[in-house]
Amino acid sequence: MPEKKRRRISKKTKIQLTVFLIVYVTIGIINVQYLPKSPSDILGNVANRWIVGTGPWYLRINPMTIIMSLVVLAVIIWFAISVHKEYSLIPTRKQAFAESLMDFVYDIVQSSIPDERFARSTFMIATTLFLYIVVSNLLGGVIPGISVDVTKTLAENGEIIRNVKFILFSDTWFAPTADLNTNLTYALMVLVISHYFGIKAKGFKAWLKSFIEPVPFLLPLNIIGELAKPISHSMRLFGNITGGGVLVLALSYFVKYMFLPPVLWGYFGIFSGLIQAFVFSTLTVAYISAQVG
Amino acid sequence: MDQESTKLIADAIIIAGKAIGAGFCMGIGAISPGIGEGNIGAHAMDSIARQPELANSITTRMLIADAVAETTGIYALLIAFLILFAL
Repeated sequence: MPEKKRRRISKKTKIQLTVFLIVYVTIGIINVQYLPKSPSDILGNVANRWIVGTGPWYLRINPMTIIMSLVVLAVIIWFAISVHKEYSLIPTRKQAFAESLMDFVYDIVQSSIPDERFARSTFMIATTLFLYIVVSNLLGGVIPGISVDVTKTLAENGEIIRNVKFILFSDTWFAPTADLNTNLTYALMVLVISHYFGIKAKGFKAWLKSFIEPVPFLLPLNIIGELAKPISHSMRLFGNITGGGVLVLALSYFVKYMFLPPVLWGYFGIFSGLIQAFVFSTLTVAYISAQVG
Repeated sequence: MDQESTKLIADAIIIAGKAIGAGFCMGIGAISPGIGEGNIGAHAMDSIARQPELANSITTRMLIADAVAETTGIYALLIAFLILFAL
């Protein structure tokens, strides 16, 4: 007797999915009443998201960036622990996935940095950045979640007053990479590390000499070229993720955030997000290898 | 003209300027990334047709090059958003 065709989805998963769908639709329908009535109410404050809060500069932070960064860290640590627990010579599915990812990045690093001293640390930096950016991009839009709404008003004496409000179910989850502060931190870190490796590999004098090559006349151009690297490096990721987020926000307003955000995020989060994370880590390797080589 | 109508007209001019500026910014800014990505795609297709066994690695590199060529378009999108919402 031929065996029965294996069911793709087990009964338990089906029940879980149905319950999730019912809860999702119910909350969505209830939520419609509390949404702002016109699109400009939502989109009007989008650009104020990146500087949140009042007071001195170190207090002006976006709370959502910190919360979501911690969530991303938790997801990565959970994955690492679950791989480590069932670590064996015959790899399980998770371990095989992790190993093939590491192998993939290590091949790229080794082909551009032959020196073994720097290849290992560059590989660690590139993989860390890649994992963080991938998880934060993917997490960005699956579930309609919380977001901050910042209203900026001018007081009588010309002072800027910012009011922060948390809103539920009016936006997708906030990706930490949609905040320029996160990306610029990593890009500057890569710049500093690449020059540190450059000094270590070539020596201080040769490193200084690399700024006046091919002729001393080009010194300002070389310095500007170095400073432009972190800007384009961070702005690329920031613009992609933020642009995707704002487009999803604007388009999904018309269906009141019911089903469109996950579908649209299939493009902006999974396709564009994966490519941008890959480009970010590849450029990291390229910048470091340009200094080392 | 009294003060209120002057203010109204000034607001209207500001909104019109924002809309026109954002439209031009996005429209002109989308030309060059479009040309660049088209070139990249065309050459990738050429090389895949010549050597079909390299299709996988060519596709990966094509996507990276696309993402880099896209950057200026993304800058235009950012500036358009800033003009519309932040200015």
